[in-house]
Amino acid sequence: MNLAAESPSSSCSSGSTDDFAAFLENEIEAQIEEEEIEEEHIEEEDDDEIEIAEHSNKRRKVMDDESTDEESPLNTVDLANGQISNGGNVVCAHPIIIRNLCSHCGEFVEEAGSSVAFNYIHKDLRLGASEIEKLRKEDLKHLLKDKKLILVLDLDHTLINSSRMIDIIPDEQYLIKQVEEGKETDDPNQTLFQLGRYHMLTKLRPFVRTFLKEAKNMFEMYIYTMGERAYAMEIAKLLDPGDVYFPSKVICQSDCTTRNQKGLDVVLGADNLVIILDDTEHVWHKHKENLILMERYHYFASSMRQFSSGIKSLSEMKKDERESDGILATILSVLKRAHEMFFDPKIGIDLSSRDVRQILKLIRQDILEGCNIVFSRVFPSTVRAEEQPIWKLAEQLGATCLDDVDDSVTHVVAVVPNTQKAEWARDNNKFLVTPRWIEAANYLWQRQKEEDFAVPKKVDK
Amino acid sequence: MFFHIVLERKIQLHPRYFGPHLRDKLVAKLMKEVEGTCSGRHGFVVAITGVEDIGKGLIREGTGFVTFPVKYQCVVFRPFKGEILEAVVTMVNKMGFFAEAGPVQIFVSNHLIPDDMEYQAGDMPNYTTSDGSVKIQKDCEVRLKIMGTRVDATEIFCIGTIKDDFLGVISDPSAAS
Repeated sequence: MNLAAESPSSSCSSGSTDDFAAFLENEIEAQIEEEEIEEEHIEEEDDDEIEIAEHSNKRRKVMDDESTDEESPLNTVDLANGQISNGGNVVCAHPIIIRNLCSHCGEFVEEAGSSVAFNYIHKDLRLGASEIEKLRKEDLKHLLKDKKLILVLDLDHTLINSSRMIDIIPDEQYLIKQVEEGKETDDPNQTLFQLGRYHMLTKLRPFVRTFLKEAKNMFEMYIYTMGERAYAMEIAKLLDPGDVYFPSKVICQSDCTTRNQKGLDVVLGADNLVIILDDTEHVWHKHKENLILMERYHYFASSMRQFSSGIKSLSEMKKDERESDGILATILSVLKRAHEMFFDPKIGIDLSSRDVRQILKLIRQDILEGCNIVFSRVFPSTVRAEEQPIWKLAEQLGATCLDDVDDSVTHVVAVVPNTQKAEWARDNNKFLVTPRWIEAANYLWQRQKEEDFAVPKKVDK
Repeated sequence: MFFHIVLERKIQLHPRYFGPHLRDKLVAKLMKEVEGTCSGRHGFVVAITGVEDIGKGLIREGTGFVTFPVKYQCVVFRPFKGEILEAVVTMVNKMGFFAEAGPVQIFVSNHLIPDDMEYQAGDMPNYTTSDGSVKIQKDCEVRLKIMGTRVDATEIFCIGTIKDDFLGVISDPSAAS
């Protein structure tokens, strides 16, 4: 008790010493009183619990009353110099709320308000809007100083492919044997794993480890998946055994603020620095411009079936994507380019007002630069051509889309070879390609050889 | 703060223990049930020091269990708002740092860390003053003041501050002379 009385007295005026010591005395007396009451009444265990709850509420109320008399932390600093000003309350904005306690004023805060839950950083953590802004700005400063951007990665079909054990078809049984063998050896390059708790097999996309290692030098990385937290943490452990790539940065479905939509509001970084790698477009409704769409990785047959049937999956064909020029390698070079362009010292604009979305747009527009495209029977003539996704995609990639053929046209995109426009293309020696040519350019960030996507000639009757 | 108080609890005992060591079995069950638990009123029960009184057992209808009201002395730990504690830092992040003082976990947010200390990310994230003289990182000891508490069934969680005089780092994890 003596210590408690002495230390505040040396820093605060005498008025607060009395308050503090008196408060402590009150608490202890209240407790002794309660114990006496307890000895007199012998209560049932059930009543005990209700009483405990009541008492703890009372205790909280006692403390809350005290807090309205005491100063909020901002003013306690002033106490060192001046007087206590009772009633001079500063309303706390509850910037950081952890387990329903405001970390600034110590008050119990109910849910709701303008705070966003950040359970992936720490359980039961909520941050107020002003705090999020402040953290974003600080983050921006640090990242620009370290010359890093932000990369948000999806898991399923982007970096890995998972399948439940029960969905494994007979042709894939050899994989199970492989996994068993893999468990005994300790191959650092192992890519096929079994998630014991979920009876699932997971295959890492080729090149993923190198990808992460190189990306770490340019980006601060987050994982953002629509899976459950436990699953996401398991995969993060496989991809990142040393916890260097995504420490406390694994965001999962339960962190999403909008159902079925991913958002950058739970990522503590400025929007203009974020690049997203995902295989699904519709979950990133609000952030389409930050998104780099990836071609899906279908290793297992069950995963292939979900999206399209008939085509064999990689495991059935006993093949895999090539490491040297697979999707991840291509995307890595695009990311390197974007990073270079962003931090290019030659551009005069101030770093903090640059936007990585603009950079992505510029890179995209380079891909099909100079192509003039006409579509033939790709979509019905009754719809507005400019609003078709493939039209818009081609324009995004830098091509110019036209309604009708003329001399400037370079490519005709058709599905069948015997349309009018297709004939015209053959007569005038123009490129005749399938819509897949445009999609391939989108996935591979490079203009593909037109011969690879030529419209197959129909067999003559 | 620690208190040495007398608490009472009703312990139920299965008939198989009714024998020469009834009292011992009762005390053992009491210890198993109570030590390590937490309540809003008393805080965290650290250890039972002695049993004061065991009342007459009452046989419950229906089951053969017998309920004994036991009075026991124990050491409890209860943090109070405004109390000053020493704690060991367990985790540092850009939101603030977490420290533990025995069974109690305390969070000190970056708002309640003196303004001259800046967060440094890296291998060992820490808060450092501009001249590098004072560093708060994992495993260092700090003296902090409790701003608020919250009691769950099994643990107590507190919010703390080091923004006052005489609060802050006491010693470094690397023992510097």
